[in-house]
Amino acid sequence: MIEYVVRRVLYGLLVIALVTVFVFLTLRLIPGDVVRLQLADAPGVTQEQLDARAAALGLDQPLITQLFKFLGDAFTGDFGISFQSQQPVTSIIAERLPITLQLGLMALVISIALGIPLGLLAAYKQNSWLDQSLRVVSVAGLSIPNFWLGLLLVTYLAIWFSWSPPLVYRSPGEDLVSNLTQMALPALALGVSGMAAIARMLRSSLLEVMRSNFVRTVRAKGAPERTVLFTHAVRNSLVPVFSLIGVQVGGILGGTVILESIFAIPGMGSMIFQAVQMRDYPVVLGAVVVFGAVFVTVNLVVDLLYGVIDPRIRYA
Amino acid sequence: MHPQPLLEVDDLHVEFSTADGPVEAVAGVSFTVGAEETVAVVGESGSGKSVTALAVLKLLDGGRISRGQVRFDGKDLAPLNPKAMRKVRGNDIAMIFQDPMTSLDPLYSVGHQIVEALRLHRRVTKRAARERAVELLEQVGMPDPRRRLASYPHQLSGGQRQRVMIAIALACSPRLLIADEPTTALDVTIEAQILELLHDLQREYRTAMLLVTHDMGVVAETADRVVVFYGGQVVEQGPTAQVLRNPQHPYTAALLAAIPHPDSAKERQLPAIPGAVPALRDMPAGCRFNPRCAMAWEACTHEVPPLYELPGGRTSRCLLHREGGGSAVVAPPAPPLSAELAPAGPPLTTRKGI
Repeated sequence: MIEYVVRRVLYGLLVIALVTVFVFLTLRLIPGDVVRLQLADAPGVTQEQLDARAAALGLDQPLITQLFKFLGDAFTGDFGISFQSQQPVTSIIAERLPITLQLGLMALVISIALGIPLGLLAAYKQNSWLDQSLRVVSVAGLSIPNFWLGLLLVTYLAIWFSWSPPLVYRSPGEDLVSNLTQMALPALALGVSGMAAIARMLRSSLLEVMRSNFVRTVRAKGAPERTVLFTHAVRNSLVPVFSLIGVQVGGILGGTVILESIFAIPGMGSMIFQAVQMRDYPVVLGAVVVFGAVFVTVNLVVDLLYGVIDPRIRYA
Repeated sequence: MHPQPLLEVDDLHVEFSTADGPVEAVAGVSFTVGAEETVAVVGESGSGKSVTALAVLKLLDGGRISRGQVRFDGKDLAPLNPKAMRKVRGNDIAMIFQDPMTSLDPLYSVGHQIVEALRLHRRVTKRAARERAVELLEQVGMPDPRRRLASYPHQLSGGQRQRVMIAIALACSPRLLIADEPTTALDVTIEAQILELLHDLQREYRTAMLLVTHDMGVVAETADRVVVFYGGQVVEQGPTAQVLRNPQHPYTAALLAAIPHPDSAKERQLPAIPGAVPALRDMPAGCRFNPRCAMAWEACTHEVPPLYELPGGRTSRCLLHREGGGSAVVAPPAPPLSAELAPAGPPLTTRKGI
């Protein structure tokens, strides 16, 4: 068990390192560089000034040197200084990460809290009009991109009800209502695809379990339907659903990039969005490492919890 | 034999609704099981024997009893509502199934699943129920029963899982145990142990047993009486020894002839019954067995044979009995399948999936 966790953590570190290298290289392939973006439009900038700026940012070194310097520093928790704000990337992330974690958690809770009852309902009312309409909603939820849904939500709420969520961020401590009102729509937009996936998976999984032999055994014991359903069938049907959660976290993290920007939420997502536009390499890379770590950790936790629900799982 | 049978299945019809309309899987089956008696139901796959067993407890998935009665202790179960039916299941009548590998919930311990069966029908504390579960596991021959309570099904072998199923079935001391092919999924040595266990516990608990099987060896070893199914009907029934020694229906005779005999197995080819059980949708007119019957004649293709009552408490559904000839029937002579000849268990192989 401990050996398993250690091995998974080491694999996780390797994954994060590889992703970081990949992102590091692709960032440099994007046309335009940070020095030109910062200074290009200023009249009368000389080549010397451009070179001096590049040297100040460490961009005059060979690419491979820059990469290893970043990896080495990152390993000690130092992601460098933002090209843009001149603040340490670590402290920027420390400020923004909790906001994104709150948003992501809300999205996850929405997808689970809606997806599970909807899936149960669809299975319970199999082939009814309710099941059919839930099927349409689920397919729509899986197909609609979350940023588009987010835009749609703001636009139509504004047109129909002349209402828009607050556009200035308040922390939950400052003003909880304002905070939750601002977060609600992006969390919903982020959670819908997960909700749809959970509902679909749970429906088919539950229907399969209800036909299984052990459910017949429980009925043969004389158990009432609620014991058959909730003690035995639902618990068994949740096993495959559970593994969806780890995958969803990846989708949610990715979705925050656009949705936080749309809803003016100062989290990791909008930070990445701005940093990519400004070619603020250390910030982008720092964010990638942190997102990677969150994803790897969540999936490890999901895999460990798997063993709690299903005694057949062995860690080796 | 018994004043009032424990279970009386009377003109039972079971229908399944399919996309192409209803299909009748059991067409007017009648038989009885007396208190503490063992009755075997035999037949090929698709003969309706398992459906009949499930219908007694109304555990049919997608099917329903469309006609007839299932009287337990004189009371018809067919019209009972789900709540009343739940009081019968596991309490008066318990059931064990064919596939022990998938019949237990993989997410709950053995102890939980036995305790659950007990507490559904008996007001006992969890603690007392666990003690009883240990006792039950001991009775079904589980080594180290107290520790086994915490085991999960995947940690047990097929034979052990079937022992757990038996423990669950016996938890509330039912008066009738329905065993639907309880040993089909097990290997031969385990099969013999499980059959012996069932037999011993049946005596100890004074339980009647309805044993569904396709294995004539199992029938010979365990059953007091045998009911032979074909195409959703009973074609022959009677005391086991007599039916096996002197079958009255050509189908029973063919089934018995298809069992390999220890002495002759090498020399002669086993006679197989030609063809297969007809589909429920296109049962042949007349006798349902006539297309495969070596003794069929013209009348068999359009006249439906009734169940003829024969001496010795036997019945047979064959037109051969019409002339009043009694047992003027049936070739070929079945190999003797008495207990002496089949002491070590079931035949090694049976042909044609009987």
